[in-house]
Amino acid sequence: MIQLTINQQPLKVPKGTTLLKAAQQLGLNVPTLCYSEDLEKHTSCMVCVVEEIHSGKLLPACTALAEDGMAIDTESSLVIKARQSALDLLISEHVGDCEGPCQLICPAHMNIPLMLRQIVSGQFQAAVRTVRERIAIPAILGRICPAPCENGCRRKEVDDPVSICLLKRFAADTDLSSSNPKIPEKKPRSGKRAVIVGAGPAGLSAAYYLILMGHECTLIDDQSSAGGQLQTAVPEEILPKSVLEAEIAWIMKLGLKFQSKTRLGEQITLQKLQDQYDAVILTLGEVEPEIVESMGLEGSQRGIKINADTFETSLTGVFAGGNAVHPGKLAVRSSGHGWSIAQSVDQFLKGVPVTGPVKRFQSRIGRIQESEIPEFQKEGTSDPRQNPSGGIETGFTEAEAIREASRCLHCDCRKPETCKLRDYSEIYKVNAQRFKGEERFSVEKVKQSEDVIYEPGKCIKCGICVRITAKAGEKLGVTFTGRGFNVKVVVPFNESLSAGLEKTAADCIEACPTGALALVNSEERNQ
Amino acid sequence: MTETKKINVKKAEDSDSFDLLEVESLVNQVGSKRSDLIPLLQAVQNHYHYLPEAVLRQICEITEITPADIIGVSTFYPQFRHQPAGEHSIRVCMGTACHVKGAERVLDAFHRHLKLRPGEDTDKDRLFTVEKIACLGCCTLAPVVQIDDVTYGHVLPSKVSDVLKDFLGKKTESSSAKKVGFKKITSKAEVRIGLGSCCQASGSGHVHESIQRELAEFDAVVSVKPVGCVGMCHQTPLMEIVLPDQPSILYARVQEQNVRQIIQKHFKPINPLQKIERATSRWLEDLYTDEAWEPVIRYAIDVRDKPVAAFLGRQKHITTEYCGVSDPVDLNEYQEKDGFTAAKKCLTELSPEAIVETVLSSGLRGRGGAGFPTGMKWKIVHEAVSDQKILICNCDEGDPGAFMDRMLLESYPYRVIEGMMIAAKAIGAHEGIFYIRAEYPLAVKRVKEALQRCEAAGILSDHSFDSDYVLHFSIQEGAGAFVCGEETALIASVEGRRGMPRFRPPFPAESGLNGRPTLINNCETFATVPWIFRNGAESFNHLGTDHSKGTKVFSLAGKVKRGGLIEVPMGISIREIVEDIGGGCADDKKFKAVQIGGPSGGCIPASLAHIPVDYEALTEAGAMMGSGGLVVLDETDCIVDIARYFLSFTQQQSCGKCTFCRIGTKRMLEILIRLCEGKAKKDDIQKLEKLADHVKSGSLCGLGKTAPNPVLSTLRYFRDELIAHAEGRCPAGKCKTLIQYKINDQCIGCTRCAQDCPVGAIPWTPYQVHEIDPERCIRCDTCRQVCPADAVEVG
Repeated sequence: MIQLTINQQPLKVPKGTTLLKAAQQLGLNVPTLCYSEDLEKHTSCMVCVVEEIHSGKLLPACTALAEDGMAIDTESSLVIKARQSALDLLISEHVGDCEGPCQLICPAHMNIPLMLRQIVSGQFQAAVRTVRERIAIPAILGRICPAPCENGCRRKEVDDPVSICLLKRFAADTDLSSSNPKIPEKKPRSGKRAVIVGAGPAGLSAAYYLILMGHECTLIDDQSSAGGQLQTAVPEEILPKSVLEAEIAWIMKLGLKFQSKTRLGEQITLQKLQDQYDAVILTLGEVEPEIVESMGLEGSQRGIKINADTFETSLTGVFAGGNAVHPGKLAVRSSGHGWSIAQSVDQFLKGVPVTGPVKRFQSRIGRIQESEIPEFQKEGTSDPRQNPSGGIETGFTEAEAIREASRCLHCDCRKPETCKLRDYSEIYKVNAQRFKGEERFSVEKVKQSEDVIYEPGKCIKCGICVRITAKAGEKLGVTFTGRGFNVKVVVPFNESLSAGLEKTAADCIEACPTGALALVNSEERNQ
Repeated sequence: MTETKKINVKKAEDSDSFDLLEVESLVNQVGSKRSDLIPLLQAVQNHYHYLPEAVLRQICEITEITPADIIGVSTFYPQFRHQPAGEHSIRVCMGTACHVKGAERVLDAFHRHLKLRPGEDTDKDRLFTVEKIACLGCCTLAPVVQIDDVTYGHVLPSKVSDVLKDFLGKKTESSSAKKVGFKKITSKAEVRIGLGSCCQASGSGHVHESIQRELAEFDAVVSVKPVGCVGMCHQTPLMEIVLPDQPSILYARVQEQNVRQIIQKHFKPINPLQKIERATSRWLEDLYTDEAWEPVIRYAIDVRDKPVAAFLGRQKHITTEYCGVSDPVDLNEYQEKDGFTAAKKCLTELSPEAIVETVLSSGLRGRGGAGFPTGMKWKIVHEAVSDQKILICNCDEGDPGAFMDRMLLESYPYRVIEGMMIAAKAIGAHEGIFYIRAEYPLAVKRVKEALQRCEAAGILSDHSFDSDYVLHFSIQEGAGAFVCGEETALIASVEGRRGMPRFRPPFPAESGLNGRPTLINNCETFATVPWIFRNGAESFNHLGTDHSKGTKVFSLAGKVKRGGLIEVPMGISIREIVEDIGGGCADDKKFKAVQIGGPSGGCIPASLAHIPVDYEALTEAGAMMGSGGLVVLDETDCIVDIARYFLSFTQQQSCGKCTFCRIGTKRMLEILIRLCEGKAKKDDIQKLEKLADHVKSGSLCGLGKTAPNPVLSTLRYFRDELIAHAEGRCPAGKCKTLIQYKINDQCIGCTRCAQDCPVGAIPWTPYQVHEIDPERCIRCDTCRQVCPADAVEVG
């Protein structure tokens, strides 16, 4: 047996044990990308490095064998830095968007591409659920939103952006008008009580998500009905009262208490709310500095001062968002604030550290070249942007919606959750700018098979697929070509992907640590 | 099934133009195993000048080689082409010495001359294909260009068209010229002609032919003897006249047209007519005596010429023993000079343990670069338990600026073989492999011939030296990948795979070729071994420093007056090498730094030239012994440009496996390019430093781990130059985008610059001061080189 220490814990392992296995024996996690249990070692990604303390050397844990007397540290600062820079480098050449530019630009961060794909496949209920994960009032926003998402839509480079906003409205309207709109499931009651002051888009959204999280919510507004500026600032022909009321009623149905004609500072004080409720959320629209001060809150030039990540004000348990912290006219932004506040408040009510919503790592392609447009076009139909045949008031028919949604170019990654590169990039705080290259590889989408898509720009050259196909005795398989920075994985003789992966497509997709090899119809979704 | 069909159909379409029977015959000649893949591809490329897809598919059909292997391997090695090439291949050497002497400009000039557009390498008539080559190992003749098998030295951008003209002329001529063989006539008088690559590149082949022709007309029995490298590569071609009982006379820089006179001076003509001719040309004699022949050098018997005394005096020839006197492939001569006595003793008398002990006590360390104790390595392989052990001689010398291995193989093939035989006995191997760069055709040829002669003489046989010891050596040619100098990559390559290194341990000594214990030593290491056994470990151990024993062979090149292959005792200072042996910088320029260790080494500034040649001292100073490339830089050389040059080399040579080397070196190179182009960003120098640290500590193999050294030594000794570049200045006036060419008042209006400017940036204004249009100027340096009045300034 070999004796060594890992993170100062002594252990014995049989001769021939890798440091990775030894560390796992102690329950320690060592990240790996190119390693696969069943395959020959490749030792290329170098994110599994650990430090041997006596020599100060970095060793790839997946391959290096335990030796007598070794003192291994799997988390030393040298290790962390090395892993971080390995990942920085991998990301610096990674050509792929974790999430679609439309989603990134959407102030509510709605998973637009997923909604579009659900519409294409006729899963309208699933589509509206996707929308409501981030937007509590989609039928309303579907009529008034200036749709910044469409500005980010890559389809714009081909012809016109996908009509995202109208499609969202289509999904919401279809649901609202159905005989039994699907009420989302609520989590078990937490026994905690939150009060939301101001029933505009931000307040309604915060209330909606907090209720679903199992908290009891009271919505206070100085008007007689909820809606805030939506009630007064939007003309009827754009936002019919019937739609506004139907969507608000739908939220109210979840069990929200509404206290009308109650003005903060008049009928009730902040102090009192703090006493009565476990958390207070201020979404009361634009506020004057004096009022902020009178409530005992710290103000900023724009309104109530908050922590930008958590939406916490200077008072513990008091949160603020929407126009109260930054006046503007974008309802979708306020709506997004509502969702974010709900995340922070939920953390606060659960007694865990308040960090706000998880900020996921985002790899971004950025601006695309004209030469890359055809690659993206492989993903969407060539139809032009559709207009509702019955006019804007009626919105899309089902057929029109499906046709329009099919124009989406699927910019988002097919493996946003199982991508190990994204995961580690998050853990090791990767900065894509740190070692940014002079120029990036071109976007390439290899779609020569019904099920598999290969995007070489996302490949980290771990060689797992190369080893799988060789081991399985594929007739063609895949192989590395070229050398150095230009190494690429290809099917020999430029044959098709399906020819290369006759037997092993599923295994290769499963084992590929990034979104380079994926199922064309992957249903994996961003959380 | 459908896919199989598709493949077959496609193949049928492609095959029309290729005779697949020929493919079968190539396979029959070379082999059909996976390990035969590289030789097989080499054979295909020899035959078709590239690798036609139909042929590769056919190979997959009739051998055990898979499509994944054949594509993976054939795209890994730079030697292989997948596109048809021109009739002739122009290979522009990009080695260090060539780089500092303007190889990039020469390459540009070929591109311009052949009207190649960016990305093209073959002219539209398909006559020439222009390729870059890492190093041809003719560093003293820099810049060097090889067209097919003809090597041209000192190629200037302005001479490109002459070179091509000459080549096309030579081609027609050589087909009629009769080949001159290595025939040996026994006689006392001897004419020795250097036929190393450097000599040949300078035209010694033609000189050799002339000597044969001239001597045929004389009555004296004179033998013409081709000899290996003399080491004085800066004086090539070298011709030596050896007469009985007289000091021998060495003529330097001999040209074909000089031969007649030299022969006439020393040998008597046959008939009266020629006597008259001889008399009339007598007056020419002065021209070729010591005084007038510039420079005429005597050595060995009468070392009286100062520069030669200095060049040779500080040297100690162990590995290069009998340099310039021996016919490289003459087995008898090698044996007359005690050759193979050491091997014979080892094979017939000494025990493996005793051999290992001798090498251990000699203190010999690996000459390939890292300096691992040779005896220790032998001991490990000796002690490894296996029914089969392998011996590999690493001659994959890919470092730009290094040509020791080439010289050793070309000049002393038997010595390397003998060293290998001793090692084979020590470790218990019966099979040995020479792994030689394909860029060294002459070395391959000489070793091949030497091996054949050894086999014929029973030296390498089933009963070597009449013992029971079975010993057979073979040659495997590399395919142009520098990384294959790394031992695990070399093994992968011999096994017929992509030359990608793997993690060590296990070391090849425990598990190498096909999992067998494998001893890999550099060819210089092997070439040193016979001397140790003939002269005793003690005599070797006496030479050198505490931890670096014996001698080291260096290829001295760059901006030095006397470049060449030198062998010096360990412990000699860098200054002694550069100034005493090399004669200091040429053209009275100031000695700035010396680049030691090639891409794995660093630049040591002149201020630290007192540092001794010693493994530890050089590493301490941020350089590396490396395999022994030593390139001298003068004040006109830009250190940032040198760092960029080396990074671009390692980056191109990276196998592309591990993240740090694959992407890290690329990012480092990008920063260096930005610096050299005056486009650096604010924190680029810090980023460069950080990246260098990470690539050094995190890379998988030696190539990656040492790749940052040229940058780290620049950061250490020449940080001010980096900062200057970050500010948009190149103090040495080298970085193209940071400099401008101007013509000053010294201009005499001779119009030569205007005539030679390849882009018409200088208007033709006779008898007036010329001007350069900075917009058009491509900074090719031609005007400065041709100006007779030194009127072109770089600023």
